[in-house]
This record gives sequence, C-alpha cells and structure tokens, in this order.
Amino acid sequence: MESIVFGIGITALTGALATVAGAAEDTESNIGSQGDPNSQVQLAPQMGYLHRIFNKAIAGEPPAYGLWCALGAGLAWAFMAMQINAVLAIVLGCVLAVFVQGVYSTTAYLGRTASLKKFGQPVFVDILKSMTTVTMAHAFIAIFCTVTLCYLMNAALGHPFPLPLLGLLWGIALGAAGSAVGNPYYGKERQYQNQKFGAGVPIAQSGNIVRYAEAGERNSLDNGFFTAKLGGPASGVCFGLIVFLELWRTILFEKIGAGWGAIIVGVLIILVFTIIDRYIEVWARKTYGPYAAPVKEASS
Amino acid sequence: MTAVAAKPAAGGAMNPTAMGVGFVILIILLAICWVVAPVDSRLMMLYALIGMVVGGVLIGFGTHFVPVGGAPAAMGQAPGIATGVAMLAAGAGLAGLFGGAWAAEQGTVVAVVTGAVGGGMMMAITCMMVNFIYVFGMGIPAASGKVKVDPITGDTQPEFKSQGTEGHGLPFVSFVGGVIGGLLAGGGGTLIYLMLLDLYTATLPTMMKATEAQIMPIAISAAGIFAVGMFLVNAVLTAYNITGTIEGPHDPKFKRWPRAIVASAVASALCGLAAILIVAM
Amino acid sequence: MTVKIEVIAGGIPHTKIMVAGIIASLVCLYLSYLNVVTNSEMFSFFGGLAVVAALIWGSNTIKVLCSYGIGTGVPSAGMIAFGSGVIGMLLATKFGIAAPIVALVLATVIGLILGYLSNEVLNMKIPAMVQSLTELSVVGAFTLMGFAVLMTGGFTFETLIAGSVTFLGVSLPSYQVSFIGGCLIATAFMLGALAVQHPFNACLGPGWTQDRMLMLAAECGFLSMFVAAVMSFALITTGSALISLVVALVGWGYTYKHYIGLSKRDAASWLDSKPIPDVEGH
Repeated sequence: MESIVFGIGITALTGALATVAGAAEDTESNIGSQGDPNSQVQLAPQMGYLHRIFNKAIAGEPPAYGLWCALGAGLAWAFMAMQINAVLAIVLGCVLAVFVQGVYSTTAYLGRTASLKKFGQPVFVDILKSMTTVTMAHAFIAIFCTVTLCYLMNAALGHPFPLPLLGLLWGIALGAAGSAVGNPYYGKERQYQNQKFGAGVPIAQSGNIVRYAEAGERNSLDNGFFTAKLGGPASGVCFGLIVFLELWRTILFEKIGAGWGAIIVGVLIILVFTIIDRYIEVWARKTYGPYAAPVKEASS
Repeated sequence: MTAVAAKPAAGGAMNPTAMGVGFVILIILLAICWVVAPVDSRLMMLYALIGMVVGGVLIGFGTHFVPVGGAPAAMGQAPGIATGVAMLAAGAGLAGLFGGAWAAEQGTVVAVVTGAVGGGMMMAITCMMVNFIYVFGMGIPAASGKVKVDPITGDTQPEFKSQGTEGHGLPFVSFVGGVIGGLLAGGGGTLIYLMLLDLYTATLPTMMKATEAQIMPIAISAAGIFAVGMFLVNAVLTAYNITGTIEGPHDPKFKRWPRAIVASAVASALCGLAAILIVAM
Repeated sequence: MTVKIEVIAGGIPHTKIMVAGIIASLVCLYLSYLNVVTNSEMFSFFGGLAVVAALIWGSNTIKVLCSYGIGTGVPSAGMIAFGSGVIGMLLATKFGIAAPIVALVLATVIGLILGYLSNEVLNMKIPAMVQSLTELSVVGAFTLMGFAVLMTGGFTFETLIAGSVTFLGVSLPSYQVSFIGGCLIATAFMLGALAVQHPFNACLGPGWTQDRMLMLAAECGFLSMFVAAVMSFALITTGSALISLVVALVGWGYTYKHYIGLSKRDAASWLDSKPIPDVEGH
C-alpha cells in the first residue's frame, strides 16, 4: 500500500514537472522560431519581406530536444557516477546542455541569415545578443524538468532504462508533443496575425509574415508573452497528460490481472480522448459553420 | 539556379523487380543467421531475428497511418500535425517503448500490448490537443483536402476548408489514423526491444562470464539503443516512402504501403542480424 | 511554397573530402590505440579528433544528398546515418584491433543495402542516394566509435562495457558504470545525429558557401567533443579527460571565432540595433 502511495506521489510530481517542461519548451521554440513555422521566417526575405525575427534552424523540436535532454541526462549521469550529489549533478548537467543549445542557436541564426545575402537580409547583432540568452533560459527550464522527471522515473519508480536513454526518449517525446500542439498556434496566429482570424493562411500569402507589430518592429521576444497565453500552457498540458497518465495507469493497475489491468485502463483512456476529440470537432462544425463565399466589397 | 534536376516522375509506382530482390535479400539474411549461429542457440536466434523483422514492419507500416502535414500544417494550409513524420512516429513509439520496457518481466505478449497502448495513448492525447488548438486557439474547424466525405463519420469536408488552403486540422479519420499509428509503432518498437533483451539475457552471461543480474545493465542498454536505432531507420524509410507528408489512411499516398513493408523488412533483418551477431560470434 | 535548395558549383570536390575524412578518422582512431601500447588513457582525445574529421566529411555528404530535394528535409538524413551507424559500430567492436576497419566494411554494407532499398524499392530514384547513404552510415559508425574512444579510452567491446564503482574507497568492477551499461551511447548518438546535419541545415540558402559550412562542421565537432570530454571524467583518469577537455575547448574557440568571421564576410550586412532596411515594393 505504502509503495502505491509513494508511487502516486512521484507520479503527481512528474506530471507537474512535465507540464512545466512542455510549456517552457513551446515558449522557447517560439521565441527562437524553431521547427516548421521557421520555414516562413526563412521564406520571407526571399519574397522581399525583410525582418528582425530570430531564425533558429536546428532541425525540428523533437531531435533538438532529444539532444538537449539526452545531453543533460548523460552529463548528470556522469556527475552522479563521480559521486556528486544528485540535485547538483542534474543542475550542472542541464547548465552545460543549455550552453550547447545556446551555441547551436547562434550558429544557426548566423548561418541561415548569411546565406540570404542575395535578398539583402541583414544579420542583426542585437537580435543575436538579446534573443540567445532568453531562449537559453526557457530551454534550461524545459531541460531541467525533463531530466529531473527522468531521474525520478529511474531512481524512485525503478524503471530499468538508465538515465541517458530515458533522457533521449522523453526529450524526443517532449519535442514531438510541444511541436505538434504549439507550432500551428505560432505559425498561423502569431506569424500571420494580419490574416483573417478563423481561416487558414492562403497559399498566395506565404512569406508575408508580420514584421511591424504592436510597438515598432517585431522581434522574437514579443512571441514569448503571446505563447504564454495559450500555446505554451496547451503544450504543457499535453505533455503533462502523456507523462502523468502513462505513469498513473502503470503504478495503479499493473498488478491487477497480471498486467492486463493497465492495458485495459490505457484503452479506456484512449477512448475517452477519442470522445473528447470528436466532441470538439462536432462543436466546431456546428458553432463555426461552413465557410461562406466572400462578401463583395461595396465600391467607394 | 534550381535544385539539381534528379528523378524522373518517381511518385507512387511500385517496382516489382526491386521488391523481389528485396525479398531475396531478406531470405539470405535469415539464412546467414541460421548458419552463423552456434548450433544449440540456432532456433532462439532465428526466432529473435524474425521477431525483429515483424517489429520493424509494424513500425514502418504504422508510420503510414500518422497524419503529418509538415510546414504548411503550421499555417493552417494543410491537414495533419505540424511536425516531421519520422520524429513524430519516433516520439510516440518511444513513449510506448518506455511503458513496454517496464512491463518486460510480465511476459512478451503483455509487454508488447502495453507498449502499443502507451504509443496509442500518446498519439490520442497529442491529436486531441492539436484539434483543441485549431478549434479554440485559431478558430479553424478540421477539414480534409483529399476526400469529400470523412470515411468514418460521414462528415462533408469541402465547405469547411478555408479559401486558398488544402484543408487544416485533424478530421476524425486522421485522428483514428494517428492512434492506430501510435499503437503499431509502440508495439513494434517494444517487440524489437524484447526480442533483443531476451536474447542478450540468455547469451551474455556465458559470453562475459558473469551472473545474469550483473550483465542486466548491458543487456538493457544495448537492447534499448538498438531499438532506438532500428526505430529511426524504419521511420525515416517510411518518410522517404510518403515523401514527407500524408493526411492519414484515407490519403491516396497510403496505397504505397507495400513498398514500405518490403523495405522495412529487409532493413530490420539487416540491423537485427548485426545485433544478433554480437552474441553469436 | 518551400525553401529552395540550390546547388552552387565550386569548392573542394566531394570525393576529396570523402577520402580525406576516411583516412583522417581511421588514423585518429588507430592513434588512440597508443593507449593500449602505453597502458594509459592519455591518447583518448584522438577519438574526439576522429569525430571532428567524420563530421566534416558527413556534412558535405548531406549537402550532396539534400541538394536533390529528397522531400523530407535534412534532419532525417542525420537520423538514418546514426541509426545504421550505431548497429555497424557495436558489431565492429567485437573484432579487437581491427574494429575501425571492420566498422568501415560493415557500415558500407548496411549503407549500400539501405541505399538500394530507398532508391529502388521506395522508388526515390535519386542519383546520389546509394553512395550518400553508404557514406552517411560509415560517418555514423566512425563518429560513434570516436565518441566511444574519447569516453572510455578504447574501441573494443570489453573496454566499452568495463567500468568501476567506488564504494567506501574501494574500486569494484561494475557493468552499470560503463559506456554501454550507463547508455552514454544514447547521448553520443544524439550528439552526432544533430552535429552531422546542423552544418548544412544552418547554412542552407542561396548564399551557401562550402568553407563556411565546413568550418561550422568543425565547430560542431569540437563542441560535441567538449561535452563528451566532460562526461569522460566519469570513466577515464582525470588527467586524460583534462587533456581531451583542453584540446576540445581550444579547437572549439578557434573554429567558432572563424565561423563568426566567415558569416560576417558572407552576410548582406552586419547591423547592430538598426531598423529593417527598406526594400522597394514592401
């Protein structure tokens, strides 16, 4: 009984850590402009729209976060093998992982922007100086939370995988969840804020991202507060649910039915989410209704 | 200057000769395993290799179901999830592998099904949150660009597609496809891991002259990294097969799956043979 | 609309880079064998240099492959390189001193078959596919072997699974604290997978220049060597790890500074706190 209570406590803690990690990951990738929306940041100068957005082209979020978390976990594992205290080891490991992330960010921005010489896109050194530390800070939160939850899974819950492998696994999962949920919000809502709300971006408008915004010229720092409104928390909830439910169904139901208990609970959870998704889809179709033909503008 | 003009219209054509050659290579690899293995563990090693081939094929086939829209999906121009197909499948499959590895001591069947359910659960939650963002964050209903009517629910699609786009969001058939993809990928990855784990646990103690408990970390880690490696190889081959984006099982590109089965089978047999030879030689 | 990947003629021909990469990696890996000869771990840093050589070669291979517009993007090429490389490398470690050569042979076979599958079975029909996938497989195997040497001092299977844990001042052998046992190979896998595709991915664009990309490849290599050297403190003697660390930091500082200089040379303009320049029509 005690071990189940302990297990549930750890599960709750990892769920909370995962939620924070997901939110920080999405905010970081939007401030740095990484992943699929970044193709627009790359495309804009080619269509003549020069900008002051940070162009962090480091693969997509899943492999990038797979690296930062595997690196943080590997370094933490190495420090723990040198008899350094676990908390300190994780912090040091994540600091070094974030340093690597910062260097990769700067080289990505410089590389991509220098290759756009033909279109006149300048390298803005002040963007480089101000943005890099902000993305590093958000990345540190995401990496630290992920490595900590991996450590808890290994040390407190007894998962057989060693820490670096868990870091790789959950890093890729974090990136996949955060990227899937957060990318459309950044890509459509923020980059194309000047387009009509409630419709996708017409293909003809590709490249015409927002460059002059609330107060002067937009830069990537402005994307931070915007992401924190919905995209960040949604990504956090997504990853948090994934981690929490995975652990919850295992801890509570593993012993029931020689393992089949956890499987049945998992299938039930899938069905619950299917129903929720169907409800959302039907609600959207009923409430928003089909697209009408565009109203002819009155001649002035 | 344009991209180097490379291929003639490749697209979705099947290449029967190549598939035949692939099949022959598969048989050759299985034969090599049988011949090279020490006599008393032949059956065990062949069983492990066949298990890994099945696991790899499950991963390759399952990845076809996952709806991926790529860069246009991030702007509401195409349906699907706005991530790369290989890494999204890897994320779901590895989350499944996590659960499956934990259930390893409860038997192969239970562990594989646990892994499958873990992968499916991750995809279900992710797909639901994706629709959540599209509907509540962006005000866009789900619409497919490839079919007029959703095959599962019967919802009509064209009038919910915004002008100038190819569709957006995750129609119900794409959601179901995503979950099935997660199930298959998670199950396949866990199967590869378990086959290798059982093989290493049986052979490493004699090879390294140590007790089973002592070699466990090596067996788990080696099996784990092989599973990750084979996972990525199969997922990338599928990404090549569908050329980057697919809407789900209703997409015409889905009909290309036979090619991927052959390719995944051969690639998994090759990588699995190398993993087995470590303890066979 | 997608980003156009364009081919620019000129620069060092790819065959030259490939041959130089193979020879440099093999030489560095075998130089690390001095560890066994001198019964120390001081020469582990050669593993890191092998990593740098392999990554420089690999980045050019990715450039050749992705110039044909494979449709899936650059990072997947790095993933398949290391997915196939790890398998070849682990099997090759069983062959003692011949491990690097065996890794070359095994990875070539694996890469050839994967290339054939992609081009013929999956009908991609890209001229450079088979050779590029073969090369990438070898790059993956060499990079992982280099990391293994850097972190453990050797490239044989026994070295990779050896480790010790100190308990009350006494050193006890333990498989758990080793390169494979602790799964540091997973960290090495991701380090390499991202480092091989980053140079081309980051320098992508119409203004791509080869020397800038190769300098970035070297910088990624030395950066990866730096963190790997920090991790090696747990597995090899402190003095040897310190040598690797210093070599890595010096190499990284040099290549990073030069990369910034090359970016400055290639950029349209280098502005500090200036508004967006006006372009006619927008």
